[in-house]
Amino acid sequence: MMDEHTFTGGVFSDTIDGGRAGAEIELSPMGIRALTLDGDRFEIPFRECQLEIGGFSGRMVFCRNQDRSITIYCEDRTFPSALSSASAGILDQQLGESLKQRRSESRRGRLIVASVLVVIMLLLVGGYFGVQIGARAAVRAVPVSVDREIGTMAFESMDLEGPEVTDPKVVQAIQTMVDRLAPYAALDGLDFDVHVIDSPMVNAFALPGGTIVVFTGLIAESDEPEQVAGVLAHEMAHATLRHGLHRVGQSLGLAAGLHLLLGDTRGVVSAGAQLFQLATINSYSRDQENEADAEGVRMLHEANIDPMAMPRFFEHLRDKEGDLPGVVSWISTHPQHEDRIAAIKSQVASLPKRQYKPIEVDWAEVQKRVNHEQLERRDEDADGS
Amino acid sequence: MEAEIRNKPSFANIHVKLGPGEQIIAEADAMASMSSAVDIQTMWSGGVVKGILRRIFGSESMFVNVFSTESEGELTLTQPFPGDIECIELKGNTLYLQPGAFLACEPGVKLGLGWAGIRMLIAREGLFRLKVSGTGRIWFGAYGGIFEREIDDEYVVDSGHLVAYEPSIQVRIGMAGGIFSSFFSGEGLVTKLTGPGRIYMQSRSFGGLAAWTNSHLW
Repeated sequence: MMDEHTFTGGVFSDTIDGGRAGAEIELSPMGIRALTLDGDRFEIPFRECQLEIGGFSGRMVFCRNQDRSITIYCEDRTFPSALSSASAGILDQQLGESLKQRRSESRRGRLIVASVLVVIMLLLVGGYFGVQIGARAAVRAVPVSVDREIGTMAFESMDLEGPEVTDPKVVQAIQTMVDRLAPYAALDGLDFDVHVIDSPMVNAFALPGGTIVVFTGLIAESDEPEQVAGVLAHEMAHATLRHGLHRVGQSLGLAAGLHLLLGDTRGVVSAGAQLFQLATINSYSRDQENEADAEGVRMLHEANIDPMAMPRFFEHLRDKEGDLPGVVSWISTHPQHEDRIAAIKSQVASLPKRQYKPIEVDWAEVQKRVNHEQLERRDEDADGS
Repeated sequence: MEAEIRNKPSFANIHVKLGPGEQIIAEADAMASMSSAVDIQTMWSGGVVKGILRRIFGSESMFVNVFSTESEGELTLTQPFPGDIECIELKGNTLYLQPGAFLACEPGVKLGLGWAGIRMLIAREGLFRLKVSGTGRIWFGAYGGIFEREIDDEYVVDSGHLVAYEPSIQVRIGMAGGIFSSFFSGEGLVTKLTGPGRIYMQSRSFGGLAAWTNSHLW
């Protein structure tokens, strides 16, 4: 607005070269005047004025003469009230109707925008769950032999940071635990193949297909064999619930699911093996960890092994977290354990009471042999260096 | 200053003859060739903040080049993609340009950046658009040919085809037809424009080219 009766705007008319020009708009007692930069003057008396409100901003006022050969427009916010005042109310009805129509269109526009945003959100959420459901369906359709191939290939090319322990007393102790748990696995066709690795890491993991790796640090740190059995049940549950294949599917995207469904497993197997080889210590999503906890507790209970050993071991790890050797411990790949301990305890409490059968191994002897093996290795390393 | 648009419409470029003391402002990197007598001066496009905003939201360069000469000279300005170039003369009126369309203008033209709104984002036309106003000629380019329409009633333009429009144009987003035909006709959401005013459209769209290319990659 330049002053109370003068505004910046424009004019459309065929008499202007190009049909339009910016103009200074003036409100007089008789009508609306437009003066272009080239000096052309246009005037529409109020009584002939046909008003509309629109434009990109939705507040541009168009004043047209009767034969619509001249259109004077102005976007100034104060223009409608100045026009009403200058025309002594002659244009009030037109202004009121135009403003009402404009507000109605604006409301409808906002509703459409909001609807589109809601639809986009629904599609995104639906798409996310659709992919999840699709991935689960794809994994279910894939034979267990694919899990085994991925696990075997990954294990063969893994750097386990220590030699494999062959002491039959140690290996047999772990095998005993696995043998008690295996009959209660939720998936048939898995071959649980136990490997004990001499390393101070307090850790264990199961690869897709059932290859189980236990580090001697875990054996040395556990007060009772049931605690190791608890960790093994959790890791075996990852294999039986096929979390590895789910993870391969998520990492490789939808293409992996399509390849698997179409029966082309070679590419997925090699890519999956590479994925597990790179991530020596498997990390799964929080939901998958919770699922493995619940399934592990079920397996322990069915196998008549005290499931409370699992939360006891978590608490033991939590209390000793700072003192544990090894840069990567089981606890570092299994966070949020306060919630998990509470969830496991709650699940165990809901199970029918039972007299659990201890695992019959000479745990003190196993730990002694493991510690001796670790000491020997450290001595060898020291001599070598 | 004499300016002629050559090689229309596929590979249009602007051939400019500058007289002593005359200037033309062009988008950075628009110059294809020029006489040695022409001086080039690089400036922030409307100041530092506006320049950065133009770069981020307007898909234009942060800088503009001002070409001038003390004697006489000529230069050729072009755009990075194949298509037509249009020249219009502003007489105190305003025009909105879609991001990336601006090419050059005379010194009397003011360049600004304006909020286009969520509706334009949904129409895949961008959240912001350039606002050119003042007096003087302005050149803008498009992908494919440029065609204009003087509209008064409602007119429908597919998303990605709108290049420039006047502030008097009301823009709404709508479906091309019913729900079924909108989703399966390939048209989806369209821009519904209501005049009075003039709109400029391009005969091809970058989105269409990208979709076509994508469909041949698999």
